[in-house]
Parts: sequence; C-alpha cells; structure tokens
Amino acid sequence: MFNSQEFSWSVVFIWMALAITGLVAIYSATQGPVSQFLPSYIQENFTRQALWFGLSIVVLVAVQFTSPRTFQGVSYLFYFFVLLLMVITLFFGVEVSGSKSWLRIGPLNLQVGELMKPATILAVANYLTSRRNISAENMKTALTALAFFAAPVILLILQNETGIAVVFLALLPVMLFWSGLPYGISLLMVSPALVGYFTVLEWYWGLAAMGVITLVIFFLQRRTWLTVSSFVLGLLVVIGTEVALHQVLQPYQRARVESFVNPTLDPQGAGWNVLQAKTAIGSGGLYGKGFMEGTQTQLRFLPEQWTDFIFCVIGEEFGFFGSSLVLILFAALFLRLLHMASTHKHPFAQLVIVGVTFIYFIHFIINIGSATSVLPVIGLPLPFISYGGSAFLTNTLMLAICLNLDLYKRSFSIYR
Amino acid sequence: MHANKQKQDVRTSIRILQAVVLLGFFVLIIRVFQLQIIDYETYSPLSRQNSLRLEVVNPARGLILDRNGKILVENQPIYSITITPVNFNMENVPKLAKFLRMEEDSVLERIQEARDFSWQRTSRLFTEVPFEVFSDIQENIWQLPGIGHQIESKRHYPSEAIAPHVMGYLREATREEYLKSEGMRLGEKIGRSGLEMVYEDYLKGEYGTEYLQVNAYGQTLGTYGNGELNIPPEKGSDLITTLDADLQALAEKLMTGKRGGLVAMDPQSGAILSLVSAPQYDISRLAGRMDFEYWQSINTNSHTPLYNRAIAARQPPGSTFKPFMGLVGMHLGIITPETEIYNSGAYIRGRAYGDLAEPGDYDIESALTWSSNTYFFWLMDRIGSDGYLNDWADLINDFGIGPRNQIDLPFEATGIIPDSTYMNKAFGNRWGIGDLISLGVGQGLVSASPLQMAVAVSSIANNGYRVQPHLVSHIQHSDGEISYTNPMKEKIDWINPRHLQAVQKGMRGVVTEGSGRFYANLRDIEVAGKTGTAQNPHGENHGWFIAYAPVSNPQIAVAVLMENSGYGSISAAPIASLLIEQYLKGEIERSHVLNYVLNFEPKVEKEEELLQ
Repeated sequence: MFNSQEFSWSVVFIWMALAITGLVAIYSATQGPVSQFLPSYIQENFTRQALWFGLSIVVLVAVQFTSPRTFQGVSYLFYFFVLLLMVITLFFGVEVSGSKSWLRIGPLNLQVGELMKPATILAVANYLTSRRNISAENMKTALTALAFFAAPVILLILQNETGIAVVFLALLPVMLFWSGLPYGISLLMVSPALVGYFTVLEWYWGLAAMGVITLVIFFLQRRTWLTVSSFVLGLLVVIGTEVALHQVLQPYQRARVESFVNPTLDPQGAGWNVLQAKTAIGSGGLYGKGFMEGTQTQLRFLPEQWTDFIFCVIGEEFGFFGSSLVLILFAALFLRLLHMASTHKHPFAQLVIVGVTFIYFIHFIINIGSATSVLPVIGLPLPFISYGGSAFLTNTLMLAICLNLDLYKRSFSIYR
Repeated sequence: MHANKQKQDVRTSIRILQAVVLLGFFVLIIRVFQLQIIDYETYSPLSRQNSLRLEVVNPARGLILDRNGKILVENQPIYSITITPVNFNMENVPKLAKFLRMEEDSVLERIQEARDFSWQRTSRLFTEVPFEVFSDIQENIWQLPGIGHQIESKRHYPSEAIAPHVMGYLREATREEYLKSEGMRLGEKIGRSGLEMVYEDYLKGEYGTEYLQVNAYGQTLGTYGNGELNIPPEKGSDLITTLDADLQALAEKLMTGKRGGLVAMDPQSGAILSLVSAPQYDISRLAGRMDFEYWQSINTNSHTPLYNRAIAARQPPGSTFKPFMGLVGMHLGIITPETEIYNSGAYIRGRAYGDLAEPGDYDIESALTWSSNTYFFWLMDRIGSDGYLNDWADLINDFGIGPRNQIDLPFEATGIIPDSTYMNKAFGNRWGIGDLISLGVGQGLVSASPLQMAVAVSSIANNGYRVQPHLVSHIQHSDGEISYTNPMKEKIDWINPRHLQAVQKGMRGVVTEGSGRFYANLRDIEVAGKTGTAQNPHGENHGWFIAYAPVSNPQIAVAVLMENSGYGSISAAPIASLLIEQYLKGEIERSHVLNYVLNFEPKVEKEEELLQ
C-alpha cells in the first residue's frame, strides 16, 4: 500500500525543519537564562510542545494508512461533529485569556476552533466538487459554500476567537476561486480587505487600490454591474474606514489600528509591541545575537513571544539568515503543495490541498506581517513554529491529509 | 464541464495562486531585509538601550579617625524603598502596606506625593526602613511592579567623642552647586561644615558606573556581561586627624551644659588634640534622613549651637593677654625682665584703673604670677604715648592673636588687635591714650578666639615658634598611598629667650602661687598658665585660662573660654587642668575637680535651656 516512491518526502522534510525551528525558538523563549521570572506553566511550554510534536508524528504516519476516499466520505459528518463540539465549547468550554474556545478532554486541552479548519475545508471541498462550475449567474452554490463558512465564523466570534475567524473569511474567496468562481468576483471578494488596508496607510492609497482593482475587474469580466459594484464597494470601504478611524473610534483604538504604520503614536500602549517586535528583528542583523542571547527575547520585551511574536525570537537570535530560512521553508512548502494540487486529477483533492495551503499562507502572512509591522497586529500563530498543541496537531493533520491524497493520487480516481 | 477547459483553468488558477504566494514571500523577505540589514544600525542601539540601564554606584565616603586610629565617623547603610508611579498598580497598595508594616492610608499618602512629584521618575517612597522590611520587599519585588529599593549610606558616629564642630555635617548640594561642578549629581550630599566641608574632595571618592541588565518589567537581572564595562567606585580617602578621642570625649563632657569653647593642641606642632564649642548639637540627627524639626530648633536656638565658638568667638582675652604684653614690651625696650613697677592699688591716668593685686613692686614675673594690672596699664600707656601702637599690634599678631591661623576648618574668625587705623575707624579719629590703657590687660577692644589663644600660648611653650593649628595629620587614599598635611611652623625671630624665660616663670607662678593654684596645680605635672576674666557689659563675665604642661617639655597647650562663668580661675582653669591631667596621665585622679566642673553652671540668660 505505502509506496515510498510516490510519497512526498520533501514536504515531510520541510515540516520537520519548521517544527524543529519552532522547538528551538520556544526553548529559547521559555528556558532562557532568566526564565525563572516566568510562571511555571509557561516554562513547561517547551516540553508540552515536544510531546505534541511526538503525537503529531504518530498522526502523520497513521493518516497515510487511510484510504483517501474516507476523507471525502466522512467530510459532512466530521464537519457537523466539530460544529457540535464548538457549540458545546461555547457552554462548557474553558476560558483562557478571554477566549472560551478550549475543551478539556481527559488530560488534553483542545482548541476546537483549530479542528474546524480541516473540517470546513473537507466539507466545502466535498460540496463544491459535487457541483458544477460556479458562474457569475449561478451564485446559489457560492452562497451555500458561504453558509459552510458562516457557521464556524459566528461560533468563533462568540468564542472571542476573532483571529481564527479572520482566517476562515480569508479562505472563502480562495476556495470559491479554485472552484471556478469568476476571477472578477473573486477579486471583488478580497477587495474590501485590500482597499481597507491601503486606506489605513493613507486614504489616497485606498482610493488608488480601489481604482486599480476596479480596472482589473473591468478587464477580467467586462460586466458593468460588477465594475460598478467594485467601484462603489471600494469607495464605501475608503469612506467607511476613514470615518471609523477619525469619527467612530476613540483615539486609543485608532492608535491600535494605526500603530503598525506609526508605532510612535502610542509607544507605551499599542505601539509598544510593534516597536519591540521591530527592534527585536532589526537588532538581529545578519547573523543574529545567537541562541538564547537575544536581549529582547530573553528580557521579555516581547509579549507572546512563544506564539504570536515567535518570528521575532528567530529574527533576533538567528538574524537575517535564520528569518529568511524560515521564509524560504514556508515558500517552498506552499509551492510544493500547490504543485501537488496542480498535478492531482481529482478536484476534491485539489481543492483540499489548495485550501490547506492557504490556511497556512494566511497564518504565515498575518503572523510574520504583524511581527514585521507590515500588517496590524492580529494574534495568529505561525504554523508548525508557534507554541500551541491543538494548532500544531491540526496543522499536521491537514498536511497528513494532503500527503495522503498525493500519495494515492493514481488510485484515487475521479470516476467512482 | 469540458476536460480541456478545466485543465486550462487549473493551470491559470495555479499560476495565480503561485503568484499570490510568491508576492507574499517577497513582501516579507524584503521587509525582513530592510529591518535586519538596512535598518540594523537603528534597531541595534535601541535594543541595547532597552535592556541596559546605566547606574551610578556611589563610592563609600572616607572615614575620619582619631590620632590613634579610633573611628570617629564612618558610614552606615540605610535602606530605601522607591517608587516609579507610572509602573505602579494602585491595586497593590494593600500588599505594599503589608510588606512595609504600615497603615494603608499613610502609604497611599506617600504614593500620592510621589505621583505629584513625577509620574515617570523614580522617587524615594520611604527612607531608612528597617532591614527586615527592606529584605521582605526585595524578595517580593516581582509582585510589586513599579516598586524598587536602594541602599544608600549615611554618616554614623560610633565614638563617644562626637565633635560636631570639627566633623561637620552633610547636606544636599544646591542647584547652583550642582550646575557649577562637573560630576556632581542632583541630590548628592556634600560637606557643609567642619572637616566634611574642607576635605570634601578627598572624602567623597569617585563615582563608579555599573551596566545593569533589566527586563521589560524593569526588574534588574544583575550586572551586564561579566561586568567588563563597569567602572568600580573609588572609595573616598580616610582622614587621620590629630584629635585624641579620649581627650575629646572628656572635653565634650566637661563642656556639657556650658557655653564657650576650648582648644587643646600639641604646642610643638600645632596638632589639635581637642576642640570643643559649647553648646554642641547632635550631629547624628542631621545624618541620613534629616530631622527637620531638630534642624529648625538648632538654627533658632539663642545659644547658637551651630556657631563654632572655639574658632570664631571674639571675646576680650582679659589677663591671659598679659604674657604677650610682657614679651612685646621687653622687645620694644620699654621694660626689661628686671623692670619693677609699683602698684598702689590702682593705676591713675585721667581716672583710676583698678588693680586687685597686693600693693607693692612687681617685675614681669611677679606681675604675671599675681596678675597685677598696674604693670600692664603702665606698659600700654607707654606703648601708646611713645607711638608704638602699630608695632605693638604687629608684634601681637605674630603670636597668632588677631589674624587667622589657617586651621583646616571653615569659618575661622579673626580677632581684634586695634592699631591706629582701627582706632581711627572705631572712634572717628577722636581717641586718646585713655582708650588704649585697658587694652594692656586684654579688655576693651582687644578680642580673640580660644584657638588664637591656644596658638599664642603654644609659642610661649615651644620657646618662640608660631605653629599652624591643624586637625588632619595625614590622608590615607584608597590605594594605600598616604599624603601628609604640611602645617607651617615658624620661629618668631624677635623673641628673646631671656624674656621668654621670665614670662614662663611668671606663668608657672600663676599655677603654683597665683590664681591658678586652686584648680590648675597638679601634683606631679608642672603646669604653667594664666587665668583671665573678660569684662562682659551684657552679663556675667567670661572666664579664660591658657596653659601648657609639662613646663620642662610641653606636650599640651590649652586655651579655654567659658562664657558667663565668672573668674577664669574658677571656671576655665579647672577644665584646662583636667584636660592636661587626662592627656598626660591618661586618667583623672582629682575626682572632686571633675565633679566640680560637671556640676558647674554658667549664669547664662535663662530664656532657653542649653542643649546637650
């Protein structure tokens, strides 16, 4: 059954490399020379992560002995089961730092929202590949797919896990796009985020982005109503963002949003993390300060440095060499996975692999973008590197499914 | 769904997604390159400033020791709790109060004061907290963000001899001084009087610097690196004084409850063995956290305890002036050792100047022994009438009476030896011989401090040398090197040994037969001296006694001024003799004299009790 020739060893190698980089960074952030100032439950993070890593290897191997058809078969069941778990969590979950998203199962604390990612990808992939191509006229399929996303997003917002909710919202256009949603409409779906982002930088940049997107949509689709909606939506986003920033939001809230552009607006408050993160990465230089030698890391100038700001640990202690190595590893992973998707014949497998790739990619962009203050700080972990057992396990599970689909691509026929 | 069409779509879609991924990758890697390579110079110093704190390490101030190595002034650690209000969470007030063992309200009040002072700066919340409180807070500092601690030191006076007027106190430097001097820190305490002031530059030492590693909560995590950047502080130099701690302790005890000043010195070198000004003040209450109430009280007390009478008093020396009159008279050729002057009970010149000595003929020796005024009225009359007034003033100045004697203490005052210029100024050119005659017996305008009289009597004891009074014999630097002070000692060349002998004999007679015989005549130490009583128009007369011993080889010279205590022979002489006894014998045998002095009460204006 297991054909090692067919198995994508390179992806496993990248996975291993990222996981070990993560363990090294977590070790440095929690076991450093002055770690006695840290609470013990944080000092134990390294050991826990190592255990999760071990468990994940088991999962990765075990998944390879499953039939790829199983994933398609159980996808709806799995989706509704996890959705039920999330509802249960909402009532019986454990609250950790403001988010009621943890379910205690025996000795494990499981973040159910993480498990929702593979569940949604599998279910949506199954649904979309069982339909015809989505056209601009037939939006019913797209709206049903939207419903698959809406349920977990609402639950995540209720659990106060807006970070993960953002991931789902960003994944939706990608999966619809792959399923044949016209390019223009796909672009229209992501345009509010892009226009909003540029508006926060400067309002005229937002207008420029709106103009470019509208132009691209016009050339792609040549539909008047689409072009007009893009124009109107873009304008509304620019105006809405400006009004929100200057009229609705309190100055401190505005400072939080804008701090990634200008951290000195509020150096003690919202700008603090941004400044310290940039200082950590910037002071790493070419070679870095060395393992466990990073002053910003070891002296706790960075908050959440084992999760949201773990890239700063790598950047500070291993310099440009270390941080670009991590970036290259991720880029290689994404390109390998996209290649996997493009060479697969089965649309379900394609869509699953693309979905998983973009789950990683969204985390990657937001996490490192926040740490390097390209983006506002949205608390998301870096896949395979940040501390967090549930995330590590589900990320590995998703990767294992992709590997499985790839491994059996010859036997996983498109014909039933 | 056409298979080819789908294949085409997949290929385009994958290109687009690859482009998105690569775009994301390049944006981030360019951003990282910008931060780590291009802007490295910006962020590297930022991270260093972040995690390093430069702290100034105070040097230990130099010690002050007596001539035998006994410590007179040392340092004692005091523990302070500090607060940086911006980092302090008000919810921690009850916890802090518990550690401080104080009421919440009073802690809150102090925190409020610190907040009002500065939101960002660290200020002292409580100083001189007990060590247990300090170590409790130190242990639990992580629970109290914004709270800090520091160890400072204050002066401590372990000896029975306190000598506040010699040691001096420290006070915070003023803003002007801080701005003027390089390397001084705001809030630094500097010597404000006494040796602390004169030897400030030696005592203070050199600041050290320490680079401390701090974390984001401001907790200090120890020294940076291996401390290779640190500069250790250099301890201040120690002063080895000429004081004799036992003698000083006795002198202070004897002067308790009295008003006046005394100086005891080695007549051969000018080394001061004891220097007391009464009333004294409790210098330890001015150390560390200053007791402001006490400071106010000693500043406003009518007996002016801060005033150093031993070096700054200006009182007529009375009859203690006579030996110097004699020497000047003989040098000017007006008298010889054999010249005899008849005392009829008063000297008549325009009016009668009284003389309490038995009527009869007196030469210089007996005139001193019996303190005949007539002899010296006559002598002063001659000096004035023969136009020697300015010569007389110069010659008296040579003994150290009048000018400053360059003692290593601040605020030394000059005395007054009126020459014609002075008289012109004082009397507006309308002065005559009648205004001069009383100067001959050390009354009227003539005035001197105990220090001046001690220097003067020393030159009689050491056969005609002017010595420079000094309190520090050498300075021991922290590197072990020693620098010696170089006090002056000059022969007064005009003094004739034969003249000096006559005066010395006369002064010995004062103690054996004259007014000093009751209290100053020791059984096995030959003391020579002269009593004096300064007329005080405002109240009880001031008593003086100057003395030296042993006559054959003088080792101690003493000058004592007792304000408002009547005759020198009964007020100042017993004190001087007890000091001589203590210094030369090491103990006091005449307990009756000791008790007499301890119970002696001056007739001061009783508006306020004399301080301890």
